[in-house]
Amino acid sequence: METSDMSMKTASKRRGLRYYFNIYFRIIAQDIKSKLSYRSDFIISLIGMILTDAVEILSFWLVFQNFPSVKGWNFYEMLFLYGFTLVASTPAQCMFDNNWNLRLVVYSGDFIKYCFRPVNLFFYFMSEIFDIKGVGKLFVGLSCIVYSWNKLALPVNFKSLVLLIFGFVFASLIVIAILNLASSACFFIMNSFFVLSLSNTLRGYARYPITIFSGALKFVFTFIAPIAFMAYYPSMAVLRPDNVPVLTWFTPVFGIVFFYISYKVWMKGALSYNGTGN
Amino acid sequence: MKCRKYLSMIKAGIMEDMQFRGAIIMTFFGNLLYLLLAFFLWKAIFESSDSPVINGMTFSDTIIYLVFAAALFNFMEMWTVWNMGRDIQDGKIVVDLLMPCGYRRLRLFRGLGEVIVNFFTTLLPTAIIVYFISGKAIHLGLNILWFLISVFFSFFINYYIEFIVGTIIMYTESIWGIDIMKEVVVGVLSGAMIPLAFFPEGFKQIALALPFHAIIDSPMTLLLHPEYGLTDVVNILAMQVLWFVVMGILSDVFFKFSLRRITVNGG
Repeated sequence: METSDMSMKTASKRRGLRYYFNIYFRIIAQDIKSKLSYRSDFIISLIGMILTDAVEILSFWLVFQNFPSVKGWNFYEMLFLYGFTLVASTPAQCMFDNNWNLRLVVYSGDFIKYCFRPVNLFFYFMSEIFDIKGVGKLFVGLSCIVYSWNKLALPVNFKSLVLLIFGFVFASLIVIAILNLASSACFFIMNSFFVLSLSNTLRGYARYPITIFSGALKFVFTFIAPIAFMAYYPSMAVLRPDNVPVLTWFTPVFGIVFFYISYKVWMKGALSYNGTGN
Repeated sequence: MKCRKYLSMIKAGIMEDMQFRGAIIMTFFGNLLYLLLAFFLWKAIFESSDSPVINGMTFSDTIIYLVFAAALFNFMEMWTVWNMGRDIQDGKIVVDLLMPCGYRRLRLFRGLGEVIVNFFTTLLPTAIIVYFISGKAIHLGLNILWFLISVFFSFFINYYIEFIVGTIIMYTESIWGIDIMKEVVVGVLSGAMIPLAFFPEGFKQIALALPFHAIIDSPMTLLLHPEYGLTDVVNILAMQVLWFVVMGILSDVFFKFSLRRITVNGG
C-alpha cells in the first residue's frame, strides 16, 4: 500500500477519470465488504428505510382520502413527484452519505487523515462510504413512478423517457449540493448538526408542487435553496408536457452550478481545516 | 439525600444542554420553518376543499395540532434510543447497571435536564407564537390544565416506548435502523404527521387501539376541544393513565428479561 501510494504521487498531478473510477471501486468494495459483515444491522436499516418511504406514501394517501386534489394536483401526480425525489436522492444516499459523518471526524480531529492522501480530498472522503441501502430508495421511487405513470395514462415515448433520465441526473446534483453545503457548515460553525437536519426538513418539502407556496417562498425554493428543482421542475416536462414552465429547461444549469458551488465551499472549508488538539 | 442525587443529575443535564445555546436557537428557527411550510401545505389542502371544517378540524386547528406535535416531540427528545444503543454497544451499560437506582430511572433523570431546557426554549415559545399567529384560536381555560396533565403522561408513555425500543437494540445491535423505524411508526400513529381526525375510520380505530396516539393526539384533542365535558376529559386521561401503567410495566419487564441475554462488548 505504501509503495503504491508513493508511485501514485509521482505519477502525475492531474489524473484521468479512469484512475478515479478504478480507485473508487476499490475503496467502496472494502466498505461494502465491511458493511456486509454486520448483516443484521444492514437488513434492519434497509427495512427501516423502506418502511419510512412506505409510511410517507401512506400519509399522502391518507390526505387524499379527504381531499380529491390539492391545488389541481391529484394523488397520482403527487406520488410521481414523491417517487422522483426518491430516485433523485439515491445518488446522494449511496455515494455522498459520508457527509453525515463529516461533522464527527472534523471534531475528533480524524479528518486530518484525508488531507494527506494524494487524491482529491472531496473525492476520497466521499468514496469511503457507499451506502447500498440507497438502492432501496431507488426501488421504491421507481415503483412509485411506474405505478403513477400507468394510472395517469401518460404516454410512454422516447422523449419523455429521455427527459425523465436527464431530470434524475440534474435533480440528483441538487440533492447532493444541498447535502454538501449543509455538511460543510461544520468547517465554519460549532455543533452544526442542526444545519443538516434543517436541510433534511427542507428536502422533505421538495415533494410538493412549488405552486402551493407563496411568492417569497417560491423565490427562495427556486433560486436560493433550489428544492423546486429536486422534483417539481424536472417532473413537469413529463407530467404536463403541454404546459412546461420555462425554468424546467434550466434544471441542468441549476444542477451543475449548485453542485459546483457546493464543491467549492466544501473544499474551501476542508482546506482551511487545521485540526483539533495537537 | 435521595432527592439531591436526582437533582444534581438534572442540573448536570441542564448545564450540558446550555453549552449548545446556538443549537437551541437554531432548533427554534427550525421549528419556525416547519411551521411556515406546514402552513402553506395545509392552506393549499384546505383551499381545495369546499367546506372550511373537515372532519371537525378547521385550518387553524390543523396547524395548531401539527405545530404542537412537532414542538412536543422536540420537547420530549432525550435521545433515549441513541444513548441506550451507545451504552450497549460500548459496554458502558455495565457500569450503569451497578448503580443503585435502576437503569431506567438513571436514563430518565439524566435526560430530564434537557427536557426542562426544551420546555422553556421550544414548547413555551412555540405555544406563545402559535397563540398569537393563529389569532388567539387557542381557548384559554381549563383545557390548558387538562393539556398539561396530559403532556405529563405523554412524556412518560413516550419515554417508556423509547426505552422498549432501546432494549430491542440488545438483540439487533442496529441503532440507526431501529430508531428510524420507531420514528415513522410513532410519527404516523401518534398523529404527528397527519392529525388522527383525517384518518379513514378503520385506520383511526387501529391507531386509537395502540399506545402511540396517547403521545400526541390525546393532549392535542384536550387542548383543541374546550367544549369537552368532564366525562370526555376523564375518558381521554384515563386512557393515557392506562397506557402509562401498561407501558411502564412492559418496559421494565422486557428490560429485566433482556438483561439475562445481554452480551456486552468487552464485558
